[in-house]
Order: sequence, then C-alpha cells, then structure tokens
Amino acid sequence: MSVPLARRQLLFRKGRAVAGVAGIAAALLLVLALKAIFAGINDRLTAYIDKSGADVIVAQRGVDTMHMTQSALPEQTATAVAAVPGVAEARPILYAPAMIERGEARGIAYLVGDDSGGAPLPMATGRRARAGEIVLERTLAERLDARAGSGVRVFGRTFRVSGEVDGLASILNSVAFVRRQDLARVLESVGVVSYVLVRARPEIGGAELAARIEASVPGVTASTRAAFASSERRVVGDMTTDIVRAMILVGFVIGVAVAGLVAYSATLSQIRDYAVLRAVGLRVRGALALAVAQVGATVAAGFLLALALVWALAAILPRLTPTLVLAIRTADVALALVVAGAVALAAAAFPVLRVARIDPASVFRR
Amino acid sequence: MAGGSVPVAQRQLLAEPVKLAVTLVAVAAAVALVLLLSGLRRGMGEQVTLYLDHQAPVLVAQQGARDFLSQTSVLPEALAGDIERVPGVAEATPISQEYAMLRLHERPVLALLIGFDPGKPGGPWRLASGRAPSGSSELVLDRVLASEHGLEIGSTLEYRGAQLRIVGLSRGTSGFMTPLAFAPRTTVNALSRRPGTANFIFVRPDPGGSPDALAARIDRAIPGISALTRREVAANDRRQFVDPFSGPLFAMVAIAFAVAILVIGLAVYSSTAERSREYATLKALGLGRRALFRLIGVQAAGLALGGTVLGILLALTAARAVSELAPKYLIAISAGGVAAIAASALAMALVAALVPARFLARLDPASAFRR
Repeated sequence: MSVPLARRQLLFRKGRAVAGVAGIAAALLLVLALKAIFAGINDRLTAYIDKSGADVIVAQRGVDTMHMTQSALPEQTATAVAAVPGVAEARPILYAPAMIERGEARGIAYLVGDDSGGAPLPMATGRRARAGEIVLERTLAERLDARAGSGVRVFGRTFRVSGEVDGLASILNSVAFVRRQDLARVLESVGVVSYVLVRARPEIGGAELAARIEASVPGVTASTRAAFASSERRVVGDMTTDIVRAMILVGFVIGVAVAGLVAYSATLSQIRDYAVLRAVGLRVRGALALAVAQVGATVAAGFLLALALVWALAAILPRLTPTLVLAIRTADVALALVVAGAVALAAAAFPVLRVARIDPASVFRR
Repeated sequence: MAGGSVPVAQRQLLAEPVKLAVTLVAVAAAVALVLLLSGLRRGMGEQVTLYLDHQAPVLVAQQGARDFLSQTSVLPEALAGDIERVPGVAEATPISQEYAMLRLHERPVLALLIGFDPGKPGGPWRLASGRAPSGSSELVLDRVLASEHGLEIGSTLEYRGAQLRIVGLSRGTSGFMTPLAFAPRTTVNALSRRPGTANFIFVRPDPGGSPDALAARIDRAIPGISALTRREVAANDRRQFVDPFSGPLFAMVAIAFAVAILVIGLAVYSSTAERSREYATLKALGLGRRALFRLIGVQAAGLALGGTVLGILLALTAARAVSELAPKYLIAISAGGVAAIAASALAMALVAALVPARFLARLDPASAFRR
C-alpha cells in the first residue's frame, strides 16, 4: 500500500494550493490571452481576402498586402489581366480607409469600391450597394445605428445603407462596400484601381496563374490568395512580436514567483514532515521528488485553469465586444505549456534547495 | 522586555529571507507590468501624433475628414493658393501622406511616408545625418528603422516598383509602429497615380492668430473641405489608435493587480498559518483582535510597499532599457502613474490582509496549550 504524500501535502492547506493555482493561471493567462487576441486580429485581418473568392490578387509592383497599404494601377490593368489565358474573371477594386459617420457616431472602415458590391461575400441583411449606396459590416452598422435605408456620411458625401455583411471587423478596423465609380469620384482617382481580384479557370492553379499574370502584365505583383493572406498576417505578427515576447517574460517571472512562493511556503510548513520521512528512510532523491511533484501538480493545475479561462473569454468577449475576437491556436497553447514547464522547473528550485539541506536527525531534537 | 516593544511584524517578515525576496520580486513584477503597460499606452498616444506635433497648428483636409492617420483625404493641390488668400493665413503648405508597406529583408515593414515640397515645411525636422530629399527618387528614412535593417545613406530600397535612394536619416521620427519616411511630394503622388493632388494642407496663421478662429474662417470661406486644428486632429488620431488597445491593456493590468494581491495575500497567509501557535499564544496573553489585525496589516503593507518600490525601479529601468535597445517603442511612465500605483499598493495590502485576518479572527487562543 502506498501513501499519496505529495497530494496530501499539497492539499494540507487548501487555500494556499488554490491561491497558487490561481496565481499561476493568471500568469499563463497573460500569455494565452495576448496570443489569442493577436490571432483573432489576424483572422479578421484577412477575412475579406479569404472570403473574396479571388484565387489571385494583382497589385502595384512590390505590393502584396492590403491592410495599411497603398496600391495604384491604371484601370486598363484589369482588362490586360482578364486577357491572360486561364483568367475566368478579373474584377478591379478601389480601396481606401475612410471615416464613416452618422450624427455624432463614427467609425473607421476600409472602404472597398467594387462594382459587384462585395460578391461573393454573403449578405447578412439587405442587398448589395447600387450607385450612392453603401454596405456596412454589421458591428459598424450597430455602432452607428445605421440600418438599411439610413444615411451615413463618407468623405463629406451621404450614402444610403443598402445592407450588411458580417464577420469582417476586428478591434482595429471594419469594412464597407460602395460602387467603384462612387469611390473613384470622391478620391479623385478616376482611371485608377487599387487591386484586381482574379478568379482562375478550373484547369489552372493559383500559383501558375499568378506567375503567368506577372509575366504578361508589366508593373504588377500577382499573389495567390494564400500567399497574400500570409503576407498580411506577417505584418501584424512582426509588429506584435516584441510585445508578445515581453508578455511571455513577464508571465514567466510572475509564474515562477507565485509557484516558487507556494512551493517554498509549503515546504517550510512541512519541513518537520520531511525530516520524519528522511529519518524513517526516505532518500534525498525521494524527498526531492516529493517537492517537485507538488510544484508540477500546482503548475499543471494552473495551466489547465488558464486554458479553461481563455476558452471562457473566447466565448464571452465577442458577445460583449463583437470586434474583439479571440482565436486559440494549438501552437499558442503549446507555447503556454512550454512557459508552464519552464515555470515549474524554475519554481521547483526553491523547495528543492531547502529539502536537500534537511538533516533527518533534526526530528529528534525537539 | 520591560518598557520595550517587540517588532513582531518585522521579525516575522524577516524570518525567512528567501520567501521575503520571492514575494517582493513577484509583487514587483506585477507592479512593473502595470506601470509598463500603462506607460506603453501613454507612449503610443505620444508617438501616434509625432508628425503632427511638429507641423503648423491648422490642418485642411477633404470634407468629412477628422483625423490624419486612419482615413483617406484627397484635395487638389491648387487649393493651397485659395487658402493663402483667406485673411489671417501666413502660409499654406500641401503635403501628401500614405502608409508605406516597405519590404525589407523579405518582410513587410510599415512606415508612414510623407511627401513634402522641398524647401517648404512638412519635411524632416531633424536630420541625424545626410540631407533632405530633393530629387524625385530620394528618400529620408527614420534613423532607427534604417539601423534595424542595415540601411544607410546611399542604400536603395524598392517601394511600389520605384527605386528610392536614401539621402538622409532623420532623428526622433520613430512613430508608434510606423516610423516616418520623407520623399518629395511629386514622388509620392506619382506612386499613387494622383498628380496635382495633396492629402492635407498645413496652415500657419499670421503671428498671434488663433488656430481655432482661423480653422473656422477657412471652413466658412472654402467649400468641400474640413479645416481643423492640429490639437483636434491629434486627439482624434490618439482615440483611433490607442482606444482599440485599451480593453486588452486594461485586462492585462487587472490580471497584474490580481496577481499582486494574490502574492501578498499568499505570503502573509502562509506565514500567519505557519505561526498559528504563536498567534494563539499572543491571543492567550491578551493581545486584542485589533492589535492582531494591525500585525497582519503591517506585514501586508510592508510587502506591498516594498514590492511597489522595487516594481517602480524595475519599470523605470526597463523603460530606459527599451529606449536604448528598442527605441521604436516609447514607454512614457508618468509621475501620476507612479503615484497611482503607490496608492494602489495600500489598497492591495488591505485586500490581501483580509484572508489571514479572517484566519486569525477564528483562531482559538486555547489551541496554544494543546500540544
């Protein structure tokens, strides 16, 4: 028969064990939540491109992103692209960040001038924009309280809302659609387009078609949808790398401090028990394993609690703030697990150093 | 001990130096995190308006425009002449501006590209080396961005199919996530295929003229535009850029506060629980409930204040290190922020002392004699 010493020692003071688990969970939650927020921004960042139906995106030479990017091509580029063998459809769009206002309410959106009105993106409500009309993303429409038929001001002009699309907004921006000529007029960009969205014929792959377009049409960069989206994600990834690294470091320090504190206090309060165990024959290795097992169990429980909390946040937050989407990625969970492992290893040093110095004879001295 | 007093709280705190050190480090880490996050938010606000802060106090944009960074504004450049005829205007300078997704080391790197008319305001206000751009393919790049990517005067970079040669490096132009780059306005317009246009027109009032009054006058005099003060536009930019990050930052700050309270509570609770026999003895000797609570409170306050001081020093050191090692980030720790965190330390101590106080309240004095 064996005695579950580690478990009993850990649960001897339940309040301390719970506080330790909560502290480690909070530290790991810092890492997990931040990564999930950035992953959520990334997902929404490419949502328009992902759902645009384009196999290839043609831009001004050297341009392979849309977010915070400028691209200007002569309108004839769309005709030239359409003539490339393998192209089923070449749809020019104009693209500009714009302030959309209704009364005192306002919001920034990427305004897409597209004669198809954003097809094949499904409409959540209403219909696609005609001349003088605009389609808003649902969260922006709610914020502006601009339902179908309402007027909104963009670039000093009034557009009538014709419908809503869904799932394109992040905490950073929203998306809206108008007719291309409407946008060209207000931007003094008649004869210019930003991108050409290309649909490939079934017999040709995106990469092959992109290469063919670049070879046939001068002054353009053609990217497959996957490559374009990946480039977009890399922009946000690169911008946030340092912040994520800093947060991992802080999460690690707090985690080590909390776990170390819990383990060290637990060891101190049970130092006599350890001495007794040593006196009745438990080897130093066994005593150390006991201390490490407690730290490991606390950190593991903290990790699981952090995971549960971030799942809960991912479910609750979008209901409270629809643009704040948390995306939990396996790689990010693995990263938090690595941080947790490092926390456990570092924190175990505190009790280990104390337990290793225990003199079994000390139990008989008092 | 006749006539003397025993510093029980102090002795208990110092009885286990390792535990004390770990507790202080944990509290300091949490406090430093709070200060650094709020400093980063403040720094973001300051960096967002970096370019505007160095320009003329009135800004003319396309009608409906409210900010400088987040939206498009296109005006005919000839409008600058019309604006200069408005009474009270000393000078009207058109500029073109756009986000430039540069490709450096095969990675997209974002910058804010300013197109200005050489010899006029709107260009780099401080050069670290080299000269201002004048030719059509010349560029001045932020010094920090250039050094991060091994670029120097004479280097060439490709942007939107054009080859731009770096002729100067600017100082103090590392904006939040968007360092500044400067080129002649004609170059920027050509890249955007918008000749004869400007994105904004900066207006300098006559000496002593009020920016607010001038903005209102221009707005009335010229149709199809929005004339705004720089202060107003800067506030809108800050709101657009900083507010979206406020929620997540606030959540992080809340977590850090919770961790600090937890750590202090944990440290005081565990030492209280471990010394329950000593406390029971003190109770049996007649030490009142108030004095016992004070004992707990002093320990919690000591840990909170010690950790906070250490945390403030840590945050200031980290902010300094960031400005040396990663100057593109500005962490602006304010005196108000430090004062707020110091005041919060007392609140943390109070909350953290609740659990051990409850434990002591329930402690039976007779337990001192049971073993």
